[in-house]
Amino acid sequence: MIGPTTILIAVIVISMALIAFLVIRPSVTGTRGGKILAFISLFIFPILAGSMGAAEHVEHSKTTEFCLSCHVMTDYGQSLRVGDKGSIPAVHFQNHLVPPDQACYTCHTDYAMYGDVRAKLRGLRHVYVQYAGKVPETVKLYTPYNNRECLHCHLGAKSFEEGVVHNQDPETLPKIKSNQLSCTTSGCHEVVHNVKSLREATRLKEVAK
Amino acid sequence: MTLQKLGLKGRLQISGLLIIAGLLVELVTLKWSHPTAFLFFLLLGGSLMGAGILFYLYSLLTAGQTVLPGDQK
Repeated sequence: MIGPTTILIAVIVISMALIAFLVIRPSVTGTRGGKILAFISLFIFPILAGSMGAAEHVEHSKTTEFCLSCHVMTDYGQSLRVGDKGSIPAVHFQNHLVPPDQACYTCHTDYAMYGDVRAKLRGLRHVYVQYAGKVPETVKLYTPYNNRECLHCHLGAKSFEEGVVHNQDPETLPKIKSNQLSCTTSGCHEVVHNVKSLREATRLKEVAK
Repeated sequence: MTLQKLGLKGRLQISGLLIIAGLLVELVTLKWSHPTAFLFFLLLGGSLMGAGILFYLYSLLTAGQTVLPGDQK
């Protein structure tokens, strides 16, 4: 099946071929057909290629590979591959409970109206900090992790709605659903990107060598 | 050489070359999986393509104002 990237590459190549023809033979623009060709090649096609390219870049920025391409995210990428069954990110990633090729984006975009836009703007800020600022040693979330991001998938699921611990106290479920009781910091699902112990384990391994 | 002396065809060639350069940047950044690729695409590729398109439109708008020997070929 032809994907959007293939179509975009085809548009770029066709644009370049048409423009190259005009650059080599500018005299063709003397005719009515040549003027139309010039307008299509120098205006319509580049705008089409540019818009499609921007969309492709935005789509590509959602991939796990893209997020982990920055050095500061290396440990977070490793935390997706640890064998700890209590690690929320690792369990979700390894069991494909989130799309593995969009693992970071799936959990770290907020599922509100402008969540995608906010995530992209923050991404641009991260690039700015990478090149012009100081990258912090420990990456912190801008705001405490909202249960909404978990409930985007878990709400209505039998395992969540009928879970024993979730129903021990009749107030627990409503509190989770209203984000009053955090899934991650209330002591229930607290192992999230345990980068500190991962770094320590790596350090001990290196010492042992 | 001033822009007036270039003639419409010369200006079209310049816009064409600018756009081709922008498209080349876009093509390269598409295969590069890194946030820097997006910056290159936006700042370098976008500027080159934008400049090429605007220069083409400017050439069209000012084409009727001066008829140069180069344009009559």
